[in-house]
Amino acid sequence: MLSYVSSRVLQTVAVLLVISFIAFLLVQNLGDPLAILLPPDATLAQRDALVRALHLNQPIVARFFSFVVDMLHGNFGISYRTQEPVAKLIAERFPATAELAFVSLLITIVIGIPAGVYCGVRPRSWMARAIMFTSIAGVTLPNFVVGVVLIAVFSVRLGWLPSFGRGATVNLGFWTTGLLTRSGWESIILPAIALSTFQVTFVIRLLRTQLMEVGRSEHIRFARARGLPDRRIWYVYAIKNTLLPVITIMGLQLGNIIAFSVVTENVFAWPGLGTLFLQSIQAADIPVIAVYLIFVGAVFMVINLAVELSYPLIDPRILKRTS
Amino acid sequence: MLDVRGLTVTLPTETVGITALDGISFDVKPGEVLGIVGESGAGKSIAGAAIIDLLVPPLKRTAGAITLAGERIDHLDAQAMRKVRGRRIGYVFQDPMTSLNPVLTVGRQLIDTMRAHLDITRGMARRKAAEWLDRVGLPNPRETLARYPHELSGGMRQRVVIALALCADPVLLIADEPTTALDVSVQAHILQLLRDLHEESGISMILITHDLGVVSKMADRVAVFYAGRVAEISTVTELFEDPRHPYAEGLLQATPRPSLTGRGHVIQQIPGVMPALGKIPGGCAFHPRCSRASEACRTRVPELREEGGRSYSCFHPIGGKAQ
Ligand SMILES: Nc1ncnc2c1ncn2[C@@H]1O[C@H](COP(=O)(O)OP(=O)(O)O)[C@@H](O)[C@H]1O
Ligand SMILES: [Mg+2]
Repeated sequence: MLSYVSSRVLQTVAVLLVISFIAFLLVQNLGDPLAILLPPDATLAQRDALVRALHLNQPIVARFFSFVVDMLHGNFGISYRTQEPVAKLIAERFPATAELAFVSLLITIVIGIPAGVYCGVRPRSWMARAIMFTSIAGVTLPNFVVGVVLIAVFSVRLGWLPSFGRGATVNLGFWTTGLLTRSGWESIILPAIALSTFQVTFVIRLLRTQLMEVGRSEHIRFARARGLPDRRIWYVYAIKNTLLPVITIMGLQLGNIIAFSVVTENVFAWPGLGTLFLQSIQAADIPVIAVYLIFVGAVFMVINLAVELSYPLIDPRILKRTS
Repeated sequence: MLDVRGLTVTLPTETVGITALDGISFDVKPGEVLGIVGESGAGKSIAGAAIIDLLVPPLKRTAGAITLAGERIDHLDAQAMRKVRGRRIGYVFQDPMTSLNPVLTVGRQLIDTMRAHLDITRGMARRKAAEWLDRVGLPNPRETLARYPHELSGGMRQRVVIALALCADPVLLIADEPTTALDVSVQAHILQLLRDLHEESGISMILITHDLGVVSKMADRVAVFYAGRVAEISTVTELFEDPRHPYAEGLLQATPRPSLTGRGHVIQQIPGVMPALGKIPGGCAFHPRCSRASEACRTRVPELREEGGRSYSCFHPIGGKAQ
């Protein structure tokens, strides 16, 4: 177990270092920080001070090292666009994206799992067929199309829900939340639905396929031959065998939600990381872009790590296979 | 104990239904071990699965009466059938590597099976589960309860499977090739275990196997299957010393039996192969491979007839009366 955990953690750290290095090279090779950060009439002394502050006078390995050390101290550099610390920009925007991802995941779980289980257990029922038919739309329609349609119907035509922004937020000191106000909830519904349509349908299809496959397996047949009740067979004996791929995919999906909320955030003018990323790209704000990439990589890796660390709890064979 | 009359199983295709079992009949007397033998593909497993209504779709039982201890069990609703499976009829599948649920402990699977049928508390079920592991010859029953299937060897797993099949005290055990998937060295132990359990409890048994050696050690009577029909039903002694059906004789000659014939016994294969499903010739299915075949064999299907306590379906039986 210990070797399993430590090998997964080491892998994660290694991948994060690689991502950081790529982002670092990006910062190093694109744009000229001195030209952007220095006033046009800067003195040579000012220039030297900045060079030293940014470690520009050191060899590349040393610079990467101090880049990483700076990051570990929460120092992510300075935005070219706003001249503010990147850490501050990210911290301001993160709660909006995290809450959007959280609500999307909630929708995915609350709708996707029961519907997927239903379709897997009763694949021939008309209800399952209807769900599968509708889910084709969810898989094929891009998020932004869903978003635009939702806005057209629920904001423009019916006027029930707002089409942009986060609504009123409450500042908790370390976190600004929209989930404590009515307008916050009203604002998050449409973008969360748009963002979760793909995930919901994906989870439904995945669970259905997995359950149908496990349902045909010999150990389920033997469980039937022993007269176990249907409910127990499906909801314990079969489902437990589908958890591994489902949790893996859900984890990856959560990463996707956070990483690729860019488009949805843009459609709904959601003040999150995705919108920040687009603004930074337009302004060629390399430090923010780099940190965003590292951040997304880190989110993916941490979720992935959490998923992998949960495997041995679900399937006792994992430890044996890897040891 | 069990009486099967005219059991017919069909494999529906888009145009026609292919007959997989063609009106087979046999019975098992209380406390008896009935062997079912025949080449691979003869329909032995289908017959076993049809009895407990667990045919793999699209196979379907289309005719026949199945009576267990005087009670018809071929038209029970799902709930009543569930109470037959495990509780009245125990079933052992061929491959212990795939028969057990990989993500649940041995104890959990035993306890769930007992609690599905017997009115006992969890604690009692736990105690009985340990007793069962002891009865099937597993060391350290208490610790084994907490083991997962992958932690056990093939032979140990098959012991667990047998415990699972018997733990709700059925009156009939159907074992479908219970030793075929095991190492040769383990096969004898599992057969010995089945014989011991049979002697202890007097349970009736159907032992399905392609191995006449297994039948000679275990069975009281034997039903010889060929291409979805019953060729002959005789006691073990009658079959081995005085077979009626040419196919039964052919099977015997194809089996090495040093103990019965001494040195120099020549193994003789039956010429040709058993026809696949849907390619079964008209008349007696065995006629293309039979040296005694006549015109009648090519055109008419010989019925299973009883003569002097044994049955066979042949127009030209060896040493018997012609039909
Ligand atoms: N689910 C199924 N679908 C189609 N054909 C099947 C199915 N199960 C078995 N068969 C075919 O039926 C015949 C008899 O199978 P089976 O009873 O498993 O033979 P055996 O005597 O070796 O146990 C074989 O030809 C097999 O290929
Ligand atoms: Mg078989």
